[in-house]
Amino acid sequence: MSNRESVRARIAEVLGHTMELTANDEVLTDLVNSSFLLVEMVIELQEEFEVRFQQADMNEVKTVGDLLELVDSRMSESA
Amino acid sequence: MKIDENLHWILSFYRTSEISGALFFGELARSLRPSAIQQDMTRHFADEANHARYWTDCLEKLGVEPLKLAVAYQNQYLAAAGMPTNLMEILAITQVFEKRVVGQYSLHAKSADVPGVVRDTIDTIMEDEKWHIQWIRDALKDMEPDYGAANIKETLRRFTLADREVYQDTAQEHQERIGDLRLASK
Repeated sequence: MSNRESVRARIAEVLGHTMELTANDEVLTDLVNSSFLLVEMVIELQEEFEVRFQQADMNEVKTVGDLLELVDSRMSESA
Repeated sequence: MKIDENLHWILSFYRTSEISGALFFGELARSLRPSAIQQDMTRHFADEANHARYWTDCLEKLGVEPLKLAVAYQNQYLAAAGMPTNLMEILAITQVFEKRVVGQYSLHAKSADVPGVVRDTIDTIMEDEKWHIQWIRDALKDMEPDYGAANIKETLRRFTLADREVYQDTAQEHQERIGDLRLASK
């Protein structure tokens, strides 16, 4: 499984969705009932994949694809 | 004992805000993996829930029922400050929020004609608040090697600005209720 698919699988798991429901163009806020679930997911991704985001990074993230891109770029930076 | 209508509203507002605080910190605690920080955050939200109970008891001693209020300070908080995205930002927003709470309760305790039962309730809550600010300050200090002291300072500054904005909006909206209890935003 590629990095991106591993991250997508973790997103789906934390949000309680299937992989199919976390396609790149899905808007993250449409996938959750509570905005705190997004906080939980973002923190979980940082711990799981050993990357770090700041609030400013997340301002640019709207979709699952945006988030995959962010995690991927951070993983590349730290590699 | 019959109390002033504005005091009734303010104490009910405190109670509602403490309930919202317990939920807010409870959600934050849930978002963390098991750790010393999650343990402290759990104690923190339990304290907030107890504070809501203390205000309920206080209102009862004053002979009134709590008012059900839709407003709570925290409701506007994340909209202004934005969602925290890492552990340091979670603690920073918590620190700023707790300082606001301490400032408001201190101002209330110093105001004229505060009923004894209200002062006693504030004193009890303030004992917990000291610990809240201390544990977060210590945790943020411990994070400096990872996140950078300057970055933490800047994050605190950003959340402090958001806090001022929310407080000013809240104070303005409820000016007739808050009256002399309005804090001069520092």
